[in-house]
Order: sequence, then C-alpha cells, then structure tokens
Amino acid sequence: MRNVRLIARLDVKGPNLVKGVQLEGLRKIGDPNLFAKKYYDQGIDEIIYIDIVASLYERNSLLDIVRRTTQDVFVPLTVGGGIRSVDNVRDMLRAGADKVAINTAALKRPQLISEISTKFGSQCMVLSIEAKRVGSNKWEAYYDNGREKTGVDAVEWARKGFELGAGEILITSVDQEGTAKGFDIELIKAVSGAVPIPVIASGGMGSTSDLVEAMNTGKADAVAMAHVLHYGKMTVMDVRSEAAASNINVRRYHVCPE
Amino acid sequence: MNIYKAQYDLDLSKFQDSEESLETKYGLPAQVKFCKKCVISNQRPNSSVEYKHTKDSTKQTINFDEEGVCDACRLAEKKKKTIDWTLREKELKELCDKHRKNDGSYDCVVPGSGGKDSFYAAHMLKYKYGMHPLTVTWAPHIYTTWGWHNFQAWIGAGFDNFLCTPNAKTHRLLTRLAVENLFHPFQAFMFGQKALAPKMALLHNIPLVFFGENEAEYGNPISDTETAKRDWKYFTSEDRTQIYLGGVSLDSLEKDFGVDSVEFAPYMPANPEDIQKKKVEVHYLGYYLKWHPQECYYYAVEHGGFQASPERTPGTYSKYNSIDDRIDDFHYYTTHIKFGIGRATYDAAQEIRNEEITREEGVALVKKFDGEFPERFADEIFRYLSITEKEFPIAHRMFEQPIMDRDYFMALADQFRSPHLWKRENDTWKLRHTVYE
Repeated sequence: MRNVRLIARLDVKGPNLVKGVQLEGLRKIGDPNLFAKKYYDQGIDEIIYIDIVASLYERNSLLDIVRRTTQDVFVPLTVGGGIRSVDNVRDMLRAGADKVAINTAALKRPQLISEISTKFGSQCMVLSIEAKRVGSNKWEAYYDNGREKTGVDAVEWARKGFELGAGEILITSVDQEGTAKGFDIELIKAVSGAVPIPVIASGGMGSTSDLVEAMNTGKADAVAMAHVLHYGKMTVMDVRSEAAASNINVRRYHVCPE
Repeated sequence: MNIYKAQYDLDLSKFQDSEESLETKYGLPAQVKFCKKCVISNQRPNSSVEYKHTKDSTKQTINFDEEGVCDACRLAEKKKKTIDWTLREKELKELCDKHRKNDGSYDCVVPGSGGKDSFYAAHMLKYKYGMHPLTVTWAPHIYTTWGWHNFQAWIGAGFDNFLCTPNAKTHRLLTRLAVENLFHPFQAFMFGQKALAPKMALLHNIPLVFFGENEAEYGNPISDTETAKRDWKYFTSEDRTQIYLGGVSLDSLEKDFGVDSVEFAPYMPANPEDIQKKKVEVHYLGYYLKWHPQECYYYAVEHGGFQASPERTPGTYSKYNSIDDRIDDFHYYTTHIKFGIGRATYDAAQEIRNEEITREEGVALVKKFDGEFPERFADEIFRYLSITEKEFPIAHRMFEQPIMDRDYFMALADQFRSPHLWKRENDTWKLRHTVYE
C-alpha cells in the first residue's frame, strides 16, 4: 500500500500568507511562519511555500521567510516562485529548503529542469504545473499564477518534465483551486498515469472524501491542502485520522498536547 | 455635416520635448500628478452624462487634496474609519421594509450583468433582506463565453431577469461614431447601463432601483456619497434636442445616417416627469453596505458558481472584474490613449485602496501591463466597427473609410493623444509622466 503524504500549501505574497479562488482575488490570511509552525505542530508531513507573485513582479522574496521557517519547522520544505536559475536553487537550499518547485521558468526554458536535477538531484526538482481545463480530458498549462496561457498540453508537459529530470509533479487545477469543491480527479489521474514519479494533487480539497478520491481514483501520492487548513475548517489531525479511517495509508502520528 | 475622413493629419511637432506649455485636450489638468496613496493620476475624468458628450465636451477630473491624495482614497479611509455601517444597514432595512411586497409582485429592480458585484447585490437583497428583486441586464456589445456563463449562473442562483439587447446594427453604428468622435467604444453600453433600470422600473411599476457601488469609490466627487440616491441627470433627460449618441445629435443620426427614430428607443433616457410621478427612487446599495470588490468575487463564487475569466484581461493583471464584454479591452485601451490611464492603473488603484496590494506592487503592475494593446479580440472588434455598404446603405456614405482596421484605428488613436501626456520618441509613443519613473 502506498504511503500518502499530507502537505500544507502556503501561497505567499510579500510578508503575507494569502489565499485566492481560482488563483484570483488573493485574500490576506496572516503571517506565513505562524501558519507553517501551526501545521508542523499538528503533524503535517511536508510544507510547500509558493511566492505566487514572484514571476509576475520578477522578484524573489522568499528567502527570509524560508530561513525563519526552518528554525522551528522540521519537515521537508518545498519552495517555489520566481526561481529562474541554478544559482537561485542553491540560495533556496542554503536557506533551508529541501526541494524547489518550478513553473514559469521551466515553461520558458525546459532545460532548466535538467540543470537542476543534474546539479542537486531529481528528488529536489519539483515541476509545478498550473492546469486549466480546456475540453474533455484536456488541460492547458498556465503560468504567472493562472494568468497566462501557454498553449502547452498540461499532461504532455508533465511527461516531458519527467523525461528532463523532474522528480515530482505538483499539479494544481486552476478551475478547482480555492473552491473547496474537490480536486479535478480526471486531471490528477491523467498526470499520474503519464509519469512514474510522485504526483501531488493540489487545488480543491474541501473534505477528506476529496482526499480519498484523489488517492484511490486519481492515484496521487500526496495532497496539498490550503483552504481547509487556512480557514480552520479542518486540522491536520482531523485529516489524518479521517484518512486513516478510510484506509488511506497515512503516517501514524501522535501529537503531544502542549 | 462633413463626412469622416479616411486619413488624419497629425502635427508631430506638438509631441516633441518642449519648454513651452503643451496643448491639453478635454480640459485635463496641464500638470500631471499621481496620488500619493494609490496610482491614479489627476487626469482621471469623473463620470459624465453621456447624452451630452460631444467632441467639444470638457472633463471634470478627480480631486486631489492638499496632501496629494485623491478623493477615492479619502473615501476608502472614510469607509474604514468614520462611516457607521451598523447604522447604514439599519437604514437599508428600513428602506426595504418600506418597499417590500408580499403580494406576488417585484419590489425592487437590480440592474447588472451577473458579474460579481450585481450578483452580490441581488443575492443579498433577496436572501438576506427578504426582497423580491427583478434583475435587468443591458447586454454587452459582444458576450465573452465566460461572461455568458456568469450571467446564466446569476439567473441560476434564483433570479428572474429581463435581458435587453439593442439591435446590433444600430449599436455598431453608434459605437463606431463614439470611436470616431470621442474614442469611446464603450459609450453605447453605458447608455443602457445607466438608463435601462429606471425605465424598467417605470414599465413594471417597481418604484425602487438598486445600483451597486457608487462611482465615487473610483474617484467621483466624495460629496456624491452623502446620499444613497443616484443623481437623475445620469438617466433622465427632458429635452430631446439636447441628446447626443456617439457624439451625434438625434436629428443628424436620422438625416445623415439613416437611423429610424424607433431605433433610438433603447438608448433614450427616462422622462423625468414619469420618474417623479411614479416616485421611482434609484439607490446605491454601496451606500448601505461596505462594498469590497474582492469579497463580492468570493461571495459570487460561493453562492453561484461565478467563474473568473480563463486568462488575464489584456492591459491588466486581473481575471475577475468587468470580463463579460469583448469590447471592454478596447475601452481601457482608449482611456490609456486619452488620459494616460489604462486598466492596470484602475485595477491597482482599487486594490491599493482596499489594502489588497501595496502601492509598490501597484506601481509594478502598472509598469508591466498598462496600455498593452488588446490583441485577443481585435479582429472581431474591427469587423464590429466596420460600417459596410451592404449592412449600412446610408450610413456607410458618411465614412471615407467605412471599414475599420488596425491602421485606421491607430491613426485615430493618435488624434486623441493629448500633447501634454504623450511624446514621440524614436518613432514610438511614450507617456511624458508615469507613476513608475
């Protein structure tokens, strides 16, 4: 039985944790470090930080947040947003990140995927794909936080990303993101069927049954959660125990009360 | 009446660097300033009465105070700090109690497109305040597919709706004239946007109309927000000879362009006597409820399956506001030409006021997106603006070049650039003043 990872996804803009709907209309939630620490205390398996406007503004401002987070959060940390070069990756890893997630820069120069995985190992190279449904079982890859089209088929792009050396795929459904109406299961299934590497389902988690479907039907290896956690609709413990009760092989973890 | 020329001369010497005072168009302030808090410039025109809009009209512009802050930012502060929203909501409940009907008839008219703001307005009135709204919609020039979807989703959330679609030939002609005379491709839409709801209220004997947010939230005089009621001048007119559509008098439209007077009907303002007799009141819901565009978006997604557009709107970064009309891209493109203010400036200014983004982010977004040419629907819009001989046997004779194309459109654009805003440098146009330099 596969091990399933529970991941908290924190989209960051400037000093704030933010949350949008369909990656739009970003609402400020609070201090990202505090939320990361909370999820760590609740027993999250991994954390993903994405600076969602880094490519838009052509800046890269997560380093400080990453440094602070790694002082009190001791689970694997994936960082994305505005990473454009091997040097950027090195800086992120030095700041304490374990992996980097790349979208815009990889679309613009796919070879970057190979450069990163050659230099730092494929386990560190997460290909982030923002996919918008454009027809039945057809999705297009977007960048700049769901703002810009590419004409690139999202599933094809996942396959190519794997071939170039990506070690993991973070697949976000632009349509479902922030709606808490469930994952785009067909999308996840299409991607996990196309690549042999782990697939993280992102965008739409509203309840544990969504998670179960992403695992059992979508064949995802991990789920990224944002809305349900940030808005306090569920805790990581809730998700973990309900998932275990549905025979999903999550890590058994006991949170010590403080 | 002269016919519209195919080519226009442009005196480029006006657009050189010059120590002398530069010509200003539209009565805009000669000195360009940017608000210290947001990114709007003092060139932003206030809403005007479109029926009176001609080539020679001058603009009133947004007020800046002695600290260099615009009225819209001041109003945003007032919304946060001094307005007693509990009291305002109480006033709304009293208004609703006075008008609410439980006899099977409608008790208020809510105009809108089914965008996030009208969705929120109608939904709150019906489900929170127990009203029985009739929604009315003045159709966009050309629907986007997502605009149509959102319109249907609005109806799907439990609303009766009358959709008024003006005859496309007249609409195209009026839009072409508005482009030619005023460089204002959105004008034909604005007539109905303002006048349809009061007219429908008269027609259906519903004496209460709710618009959404007040235009003062975007820079009209702050004093406009001291009352909940909308100024009649925007949707009523007493005198037919004072009405211009596309900058052309009704007489000329009939005589020179072959428009039948019945074809004016959808654009005509309401008769103020009727409004008075039937005691129609036009209110802004934004006076009573603290309006927050982003929250309206959240609300519309949650309660009605509203969809953001599948791509960034050209000229800006946003995907959720004003997305239903394919000509809208051109509307903001023309404001950038005429006033130096494109859509990213409007969007960023609003989001800075609502503390969604910082001024620094706003400046970056303006720099990146403002004034971008809207390629995506351009060919379709140019066809829409073409007055062919076959479709317009009379009107086409008024144009030396009845077919609109990109070259002609850009030549026309140059006619509307004000020398105090634009300069010509190495064969390209540059704004003399920007918020980012």
